[in-house]
Amino acid sequence: MSNNLLQQKQKILVIDDHETVLNGTIYALKQHYPEAEIRTAQTAQQLLEQLPSFKPDLVVMDLSIPEKVGEHDKSDVGIQLLKTLMQQYPTLNFTVQSSYMKALVRIKPAIDAHQGGFTVADKSLSTKEMLKRVDWALQGLTYTKDLKAIHSGLEIKQDWLTLLQLAFEEELQDKEIAKRMLVSDRTVRHYWTKVQDVLDVYPDEGKKNIRIQTEKRAREAGLID
Amino acid sequence: MKRAVWQKILDTYARWQIGALPGFTFLGLIIFVRLTGFFQYHEWLVFDSFLRWRPTEEVDDRITIIGINEADIQSLKAYPIPDRELALLIDTLQEYQPRAIGLDIVRDHPVEPGHQELTAVFEKSKNLFVVEKVLPETIAPPIISTVQIGFIDAVFDNDGRLRRSLLGMPNPQDRQDYKHSLTLRLATAYLASEGISLENGIRDVKTMRFGAVELPQIHPYSGGYVRTDAGGLQILLNYRNSQNPFHSLSLNDVKSRNFDPAWLRDRIIIIGMTTPSAKDVFNITAIASSHSAPGEIYGVEVQAHAVSQIISTVLDGRSLIWTWADGWEYLWIMGWGIVGIILGWLPLAPHKNFIGVGIASICLVGASYVLLIWWGLWIPVVPTVLVLVLNGVGLTAFYQYDRAMRSRLNERQSTINHTYTTIHNGPLQTLKLLIKQSRDREIHQDELISKLTQIDSELREVYESLEREVQTQEHSLRIGSGQEINLNAPLHETLYQVYSQTLERDFPCYRTLQLKIPNFEPIDERHLSIEQKRSLCQFLEEALCNVGKHAKGVTRLRTDCLQKEDQCIVRVKDNGSNSSVSSEGRGTKQAMQLARQLRGKFHRQSSPEGTICELTWRTKKSWFS
Repeated sequence: MSNNLLQQKQKILVIDDHETVLNGTIYALKQHYPEAEIRTAQTAQQLLEQLPSFKPDLVVMDLSIPEKVGEHDKSDVGIQLLKTLMQQYPTLNFTVQSSYMKALVRIKPAIDAHQGGFTVADKSLSTKEMLKRVDWALQGLTYTKDLKAIHSGLEIKQDWLTLLQLAFEEELQDKEIAKRMLVSDRTVRHYWTKVQDVLDVYPDEGKKNIRIQTEKRAREAGLID
Repeated sequence: MKRAVWQKILDTYARWQIGALPGFTFLGLIIFVRLTGFFQYHEWLVFDSFLRWRPTEEVDDRITIIGINEADIQSLKAYPIPDRELALLIDTLQEYQPRAIGLDIVRDHPVEPGHQELTAVFEKSKNLFVVEKVLPETIAPPIISTVQIGFIDAVFDNDGRLRRSLLGMPNPQDRQDYKHSLTLRLATAYLASEGISLENGIRDVKTMRFGAVELPQIHPYSGGYVRTDAGGLQILLNYRNSQNPFHSLSLNDVKSRNFDPAWLRDRIIIIGMTTPSAKDVFNITAIASSHSAPGEIYGVEVQAHAVSQIISTVLDGRSLIWTWADGWEYLWIMGWGIVGIILGWLPLAPHKNFIGVGIASICLVGASYVLLIWWGLWIPVVPTVLVLVLNGVGLTAFYQYDRAMRSRLNERQSTINHTYTTIHNGPLQTLKLLIKQSRDREIHQDELISKLTQIDSELREVYESLEREVQTQEHSLRIGSGQEINLNAPLHETLYQVYSQTLERDFPCYRTLQLKIPNFEPIDERHLSIEQKRSLCQFLEEALCNVGKHAKGVTRLRTDCLQKEDQCIVRVKDNGSNSSVSSEGRGTKQAMQLARQLRGKFHRQSSPEGTICELTWRTKKSWFS
């Protein structure tokens, strides 16, 4: 799948206030996407200035960033920025890099509603893993496993549950599901990525059928009979 | 209780002390500088200014000045004025029966022609007073009865201004011989015919007294004076503030009888030179000068002012200028110094403090002015204002700095305490457990990593919570899981945090949970106060805790926080078999109270199929949207 994406010229915007991290990330991205156009920002302000004209496909961002040049970095700034961006660009793809992912729990409702790709990548992840998350985000997938509660139980929105029931109990096509749920096709696709994230179903190298895997996991979890 | 009050007093005293020390130092310094005499000039300046700013007074028609001016000398073509002219003048004046005549022109040797005639006039005029100078350079009086001689010596201040009137002193050549000034002679003569005689003082036996009026004698430290020569009996000059304080005639006016006879009859007439060439001028700034150059006044006019002030005081109740005893003056300065300290100490915004000091200074200057104008009381102004402003403004800076430092220290201390407690309750406990398990070799590699990860996240939470505490102070809520929730965030985000944090807690019933269905959507919260948001968070927390504690066998948990049109709902619904929740618990009461506050409803229902716990309320309609 990533080969397909390589055909197009990717536009990636990376924000991190640490020069070394920024350079490392860019190096890795350049290796992986030699054709991509990559730009950088070190503060929230710089990012907001570049965004409208650059129109990136993906924003790779650190949570702990300064508001303006010369200010200290705060995770609050990153979170506020993320919230603003998700509101203004509902289909923009994000990969959030941080060493403390739990901070994102605060805006989980907004992340759940976001239609674009959204993956998180802990800074301690290997480069290979990190690039995988970037790839997923570019595909519009969601990966928020690190935010999930340690204790029992799956957390799922009612709409996503309805989707599962319509798809696997009534065996409907996506188009029909959209009609029944009174939402767009795009929203149905968005629901799928969210459900897959809930059920820990992510694309893997073995190229298994994702829908079948989703159904299997949903049954295991008791979401469908 | 008593102890707490006492402690508070001690604390207040300690805070007050910080500024009080520099405050009293300023005060001591000002008093020291005052004693060096440094402020004398400034005090005189203020004193003269106050006197100049008095309302204008009426003419004192008890006194008439005969001023021999340049025109008179031109027509006589003689200077000094020949004795005959003076004899003629006195004779003419006597025709109008004045009460007393003062001849403020020295006549220590004959000025012919007419010496014989003048001597004859001196002999027959019992109401005539002539002058001598007692202090070096001395000038002898003409031959006349000693009770008709008054001296014209004057005492000047260091700035060359004349502010005092010397009334009497022992003769330096013969200490037994007590000399009277011309001023005193004329005043005594005038008042004697009113039946008021010159006596010794009663309150102050060393001073003089006319009837009930004791003349307020100057001492070396009177008013603004410091170590001044207060020899003899001196009083301060309370110049009559007027452009023309006395009727005045020239020699030619008298010769040509060009005057109103009423000006002379029964009056005090003072004859003197009113021409610059006679060199009988004094520097004063207490009143506007009348005839001569700016800041100068003729000697004969000074005599008139000096005589007038005594007679007006005795007969009209006009005030002489008096001063406080030194003790009162220092008490006054210290009092205002303390007012300054208090103004500096008051916990006001700096600009308000300046305004306070400004108002206090205006009051102080105003009071000093009024006291001098109405009661003739001259009190120290310059050191008093200075100490007030120095203390008021200077100590403001002192106290503000101290207050800022103190609050910073408190903040730091509480941060340290808070950090320690948080670390102690969280990561340190985990760490200790880990050490114990490691020692017992009970721990696997995987578990070790997971425990270390937990410590890592707990330590990070300490930082997060501290940061939020600094930013929001009271606008946060600490929930049971130990997390701080920022109440300034949108309500659905805040409630989601409460939700996700609470579900991470280790309650027995959460273990059977398979499905959690959260639905957190934005709610119109414009009319909710921070306190109400806090209560809503606590309501949700309580409801979720109840699920964890009582919902046996729960597999599904649906949590809603949403708004349908104007209806807001916070609802927790589980499918556990709940039997033991009493509906009268503390949480229930709080929920009902919150519902009342929001004018909504609290509803809770348990059945074998599960429990619903919900709070609903309507958003208020805004008048503007």
